[in-house]
Amino acid sequence: MSKDIQVLTSQRGDIAVISIKGDVTATTGEVIGNAYHDAMVSSAPKILLQFDKDCYINSGGLASLIDIASEGRKKAQKIHAYGLSDHFQKIFRMVGLTRCIPIFTTEEAAIADF
Amino acid sequence: MEKIIKLELPNILGSEKVAIEKAVSIAKKMGFRQDRIDDLKTAMAEACINAIEHGNKFDENTKVGITVAADDTKLEVVVHDTGTGIDPEKIPKKRVGENGFPKRRGYGVFLISNLVNEFSYEAQPGEGNKVKMMMHLNK
Repeated sequence: MSKDIQVLTSQRGDIAVISIKGDVTATTGEVIGNAYHDAMVSSAPKILLQFDKDCYINSGGLASLIDIASEGRKKAQKIHAYGLSDHFQKIFRMVGLTRCIPIFTTEEAAIADF
Repeated sequence: MEKIIKLELPNILGSEKVAIEKAVSIAKKMGFRQDRIDDLKTAMAEACINAIEHGNKFDENTKVGITVAADDTKLEVVVHDTGTGIDPEKIPKKRVGENGFPKRRGYGVFLISNLVNEFSYEAQPGEGNKVKMMMHLNK
């Protein structure tokens, strides 16, 4: 499978933003992992994962996100997410990922809760 | 139940999208709600990924068989690989690790069984593995 994903990083104050558009899979998870390991992101105290509403996520992609959450916890980083479709919000809850990456319906809510 | 589609997919991650699109097209015509169609997409993707990765062990000389059948009230998808079989007892049941975090892998069967109305798994020596998923229109 091609790496059908676009990942951009940016900074808003002390929040590092990772914007994700496309397929989040075992293959493309590496691209998100690389964005997380960007110096600016990996040292930020707060990380916001901004998903496009059309993002597709499979179990391989969930594993990549769990890796980021696990590493973030070791660094005492807070990681929030928003923009997921209703379906993938449900999937996050089913697998327990919301325990380590809380999800929000809006960017404002995600930032306000940091 | 009338058989509608029978496909053989290359054993390559991503090839499942063709089969998912065809099943979704049928599900839409049958009148499934969008949230159920999203469930079907994820369940089919996970079954195909398992077939490619665990059943056929990424062997590109093998195929993944997909059969989609439907009647007025239900849609059935069967995903078939040529692997030697997986012991259902070895599928991890615990999804939280020692550190309280979700485990990295092992969500495929968990997701499938929670997203479709009926799910069964069959392994026949020499005949591979079959995952059967059923979705009812009014459940």
